[in-house]
Formats: sequence, structure tokens, C-alpha cells
Amino acid sequence: MADELDDLRARVREWLRMNLPPAPPFALPQNALTVESDEQLAWLRAWQARLYDAGFVGAEWPAQYGGRGLARGAQRAIDQELARAGAPFLVNNVALAWAGPMILRYGTEAQRLRFLAKLLRADEIWCQGFSEPGSGSDLASLRTRAVRDGDSYVIDGHKVWTSLGRFADSMILLARTDPNAVKHAGISYFLAPMRVPGVEVRPLVKLTGEGGFNQVIFTGARIPADALLGREGQGWELATATLSFERGASEGSAGASGMGGAGFGELLALLRSAPATLRADAAVRDRFAALAIEATALRYDAARARVPGLVTDRPQALPLMAKLTGTEHAQRLADFGLELLGADASLGKDATAPGAGGWARSYLGSFAGTIAGGTSEILRNLLGERVLGLAKSR
Amino acid sequence: MPVRLRFDEEHALLRDEARRWLAERVTPAALRRLAADARGDDPAWWAQLGELGWTGLVVPEKCGGAGFGAVQLAVIAEETGRKLLPSPLLPTLLAAKLIELAGSDAQREQFLPRIAGGEAIATVAHVEPGGVWDARATTCTLSGARVCGEKAHVWAAPNAALFVVPARDAGSRALRIAVVEEGAPGVRVEAESVLDPSRRQGRVRFQNAACVPLAGDAAAAWSAWCAWAQTALAAEMAGGADAALAMTAAYAQTRVQFDRPIGAFQAIKHPLVNVLIATEQLRSLVFAAASALDAGDAAAALLARMAKAAASEAYASACSRAVQFHGGYGFTEDCDAHLYLRRALASRPALGDAREHRAAIARTLLDDGADLP
Repeated sequence: MADELDDLRARVREWLRMNLPPAPPFALPQNALTVESDEQLAWLRAWQARLYDAGFVGAEWPAQYGGRGLARGAQRAIDQELARAGAPFLVNNVALAWAGPMILRYGTEAQRLRFLAKLLRADEIWCQGFSEPGSGSDLASLRTRAVRDGDSYVIDGHKVWTSLGRFADSMILLARTDPNAVKHAGISYFLAPMRVPGVEVRPLVKLTGEGGFNQVIFTGARIPADALLGREGQGWELATATLSFERGASEGSAGASGMGGAGFGELLALLRSAPATLRADAAVRDRFAALAIEATALRYDAARARVPGLVTDRPQALPLMAKLTGTEHAQRLADFGLELLGADASLGKDATAPGAGGWARSYLGSFAGTIAGGTSEILRNLLGERVLGLAKSR
Repeated sequence: MPVRLRFDEEHALLRDEARRWLAERVTPAALRRLAADARGDDPAWWAQLGELGWTGLVVPEKCGGAGFGAVQLAVIAEETGRKLLPSPLLPTLLAAKLIELAGSDAQREQFLPRIAGGEAIATVAHVEPGGVWDARATTCTLSGARVCGEKAHVWAAPNAALFVVPARDAGSRALRIAVVEEGAPGVRVEAESVLDPSRRQGRVRFQNAACVPLAGDAAAAWSAWCAWAQTALAAEMAGGADAALAMTAAYAQTRVQFDRPIGAFQAIKHPLVNVLIATEQLRSLVFAAASALDAGDAAAALLARMAKAAASEAYASACSRAVQFHGGYGFTEDCDAHLYLRRALASRPALGDAREHRAAIARTLLDDGADLP
């Protein structure tokens, strides 16, 4: 088993040596949630297709749905090799990590055959329609409606923070099918087509100045009845399962995408090349070492989560912690890097800015991590309630 | 390559055995009884620890021990830390480890069977007045087979039969490590008044005391031992932090104010989750360090420092939140929170505090060019 994974790793490394693409003539976004132009999308799509054709996307998924049927651990090994080589990210992130695993686990046979192979190859792009202007952390208060009408559902409502929305072919959509049921019970989960009349996508600009964010307005949009995933009213349960994938608390992803941004390696490089006075500063060294300890702890949290004997007391703690601790660490790290630049931190994307403005972009962008998919505050509630057994805060 | 974490069935069995033994004996009531006791630990418990084989846990098999590794030591340390076991098991096991690392085969045969069999409580006397803990800065001297100097805050000193003593060779100035028998002429032991009555300690003066200088490379043995000791102490502290967290969470589940269990308030819930995160991260670092030691991985030293740095902060904050969130009751002797707080504060500087370890970690990564372990 370990030998097979080592062979697989070697194959990935060898393939990357021959096939890692040169950077395109235009700037690539830092992650899948920040794609803003057609040329970026086309380039990233082509890259994902090549990786898929080489067998490195959907490695553990069953062959009849376009996967490779490899043993557990294969995809993680591939993802690690891709990350180590600095390979570009997989653009169809929402599909690979959240929508796809949901369809695989809860979809009908027809839905699996219709969607899975196409999303693995980025032939069809997916986005997520959960949040609404009035429903963020309190997601179950959502107001988008889906009304059954013959062979269709008619959708009316307003979704926000829709990454990839402008390019997407399909959306995992939460909408209320029963306005009379109590809050959580009236929600259903749809695999909704985006290219139908009554769906309007409007771009939003992020605080980083980048695009990629959208709002989606549904006005009498008609989608087929077989777009329903699971049963009517099962939407909240399925949404919770999706969030568990989104937070990295469930296994089954067909490929990792990552948030991009500066990591510990960049911080190490920054300090090693920093002026001697800065590098010798005791306060700087102390903060640096604290981040080194935290980065190491995160690495071994992930390793320990896979050793059953070492998580018997609180089996849910490490999976539920992962997104919270990873994104807060990334934020602290980027903040520290930016501070180390001194007065140069005041520069924008100036060509003379250290790292071409990457530290500012990483820090500003890090809030996507601590907000999306459940804010750090919501995740602390979840950990307190599910792991420490404390009473609900609401 | 990251270290591969090791934990299998035999580790789990040891943990279950430890939990059973400790749960039946080491209760808060017993801790309070022993806190008022002159000796501070229960001789009957020590005898049982010898029968269970725990006093020889990491002693090589041919010296009468179980020959287990750092992961088992971490398991036992974590469980005894959870219960604040006052018996000097950790000091004794760490002393045995230093004799093993620095001694010749004959010297191991001379001392280790006595330790493994539970006859001799042993301790490493490495801290000196002023709080300097690193043996490389020792001011004690060794001339022939005689040692001179003074050690302080020596764990289990009032009850120890063997002292493992770092000292400087009077001729070469090189670091040496010697074993001194309690009761030898020129050895004077004085119990210290302690913040944490569940871990006794004392001051030991050596005036030309007879000793057995260990034959091996003392500097190498000391470096290796530090990684073992820091990992084991961090494991013990992880157990304590975990226990403090568990008791606070249990209280927050049941204590009602403003018509709600206080755990429902985010002013309580979120800081407790921060304690949970720090404790879980500490456990990951502890088992990474222990696995690295057992694999002979060079990253062990760095991981052990990381674990001890994390432990110094996590345990103290778990206990400060334990006292605070128990409210007025937390400020009483009746509440167990202060038992843990005392151990946390006494352990915090032992074998290096967080600031000192972070300085060393920065040196390793920034100046020596090491990679993250």
C-alpha cells in the first residue's frame, strides 16, 4: 500500500518534470475563487484537462464515473506532489471538492453519469449558491424559493459571493421548497443549470481589487425537476454535508485546489534574505518561531487525524479544527510578512514592491479563508458545541 | 520528509492500563492527602509501579526494563499528567535514560536494574541556583571520582536514591555526567518549599562527594537526553492541559447563570475552544517528537523544543481559564483547578520556557538553514 503510493508519487513527479507548463503571458489568479477573465479560465481549464487525462484528478473515484478507482490515499499523495512542484491549481474547485463528492454520495445513477466525468475534466464548471444578502452565518434563514410546476421547479431569489459564477455551467443551489415548514425543514438542494433564461450573473469586486466574485439573481428561472438532489426537504442535511467537505472535515475530494497566498516557505525565504538588523531582532525571531511551531503543529494535526489510536478521545476535534486553524495561521503569517516589509508595505502592485505586492495580496485575500464556508466565529461555536459539549449559543 | 506518526495496538493497551490504574488511586482526595504529607508520594503506589514494570518502561531489556520507546513514554507521561501523579515516575525514567545514553555497558548494568525494579528513585540534578537548567552551563566540577557543587529545584530530591549529575571536568573543562548515591559522604539534600506539592523538589549540595563518572560522550548524551526529556515533559503537560480543559468544559455544561448553562455564552465558549485547539496542537507536536525519537530522525531535537514551547503556553492558559471560568468557586482550595495551575506554572520553565525554545528554533531555521520538521 505504502509502496503503491510511493510509485504513484514517483509517476506524478516524473510526469510533472515533462509537463509542468510555463507561466502564461498574463497573470494567473491566486486561487480558483479569484478567476476573472476568459483567458485565465481557458488556460486553467486546459491545465485541469491535461491533469485529468494523465490520471491525476478523481484518482479515487470509481471508473464508471470517470475516476481511476485507486486506493484511499492516492489523491492526497497526488495533491501533495502537485503542491510541492508548485503546479497551478485546479480551477473547478467547487466541483471537485464539494459538488462532486455530494453527487457521488447522494446523487441518482443518472445524476452521477450526467455530471461527474465532465466536472473532473473541467468540461463543465460549477459554482455554489448557498449565501444570500440576508443569510450568511444564519444560512438556514435563506429566502430563495423553488416552486414545483409540472416537470420543473421555478426559482426566484438572490445568491451572493458566487465565485466562478460568471463561468459556471451548474450551481449547487439551496432553495426553500416549503415556505410553511420550520426553518431548516423546508430547504431543498438542487444541481441547477446556470444557462437558462431568468438567471442573471452580476460581478462583484473584492477588497483585494480582484474580481471573480458574483451575485446571481434568479427571476422565474425554470430548471428541470430531476435537478433535485436527494429529497425535497433534505436540503439542510445535504448543505451540512457539503460544508463538511468545504471545511476539509470529510474525505472524498477529487483534487485539492488550495487558497494560494503566502505559506511558511515564503516567510522563511523573506527572513533569510532580510537585512541583518531585521533578522537579528529578537521580537521578529520570536514571532517567526511561533509561526514555525504553528505551521508544524498544523502539519502533524493532519497526520495525527489519520492515526485512529491518537484521536480516540475527541474524534471530531481535528477534522472540525482544520479549516479554522489553517486559515487563521495563513492570516497571521501574511500579516507578519507584510509587517516585515516595513515602509515598502505601503506599495500596491508596484513592480518595485517586494514579491510584486504578493504579501499585501495574501493578507487581504486571507479573509476569504476566515469568512467563507463558515466564519471562524461560527466554527468556534461548532467546536464548542460538538466537541466540548457546550450548550448552543443560539 | 515529515515524520511518520506511530501508534498501534500495544500503545493503546498501555494507555488503557495506565488509565485504569490511575483512575482507581490518583484522585483529587488522594492528592490533597499527599500534599499535606511530608514525603509527598505514596510508597505503596511506587511499589505497584515497579510491579507493573513502569519504572523500567524505557530501560533496555537486558538491564531489566521493558525496552520501550519514546511513544510509550509519551503515553505514560500524558496519562500521569492528566491525574497529577505525585510519584516520581517521570524523573526516575528520565534519569534512567540519561544513564543509558551516557554510561558504558557495565555502568548501565550497575544502575539500571535497580531503577527498573523500582528499588531506586532516581533523578537528574541539572538545574543550578539561579535557574540555569542547561548542563552545558554547569558550574559543578568533577575531579577524578569526586563531584563538587550545588544543584537546585531537583525533582524528587528528598526521596531519591540516585542523582545523575552533570559537572565540568576540573582538568579538561569538558562536560561530564556522574552518578551519585544518596547517603554518600559529602551529599546534603534539603527539601524546598514548592508551588506544586504534587511534585517535590530540593536543593542538593555535593562537597567532594564520591561518584561514578559515566564513560560515554556526555555532550552528545546531554543533547539527546534533552529531546527525550522535553518530549516527555510536554506529554505530561498535554495530559494536564487536557484534564483542566475537560473539567472546565464539564462545569460550563452544568453551571447555570442568566437561565442558561454558561457554556452557551461565547465569552466562555470561544476561549475554551482556543484552549482545545492549543491542547490538540500540543498533542500533535508531542507525538511527532516522540515518533521522531523512535525513528532516530534528526528532526527530534527541533520537534521536542516545539512541543515544550507549545506545552509551556498551552498548559498555563488551560489552567488560567479553568480557574477563571469556575468563578468564585475557582478561587477556592476546594476547586481542583489550582492543583493543575500549580503544576502548569512549575512545569512552564522546566527544561526551557517558550521564549527560550523559540529563540533556539529561530536559530535552527534562520541561521542554520534547517527545514521545518
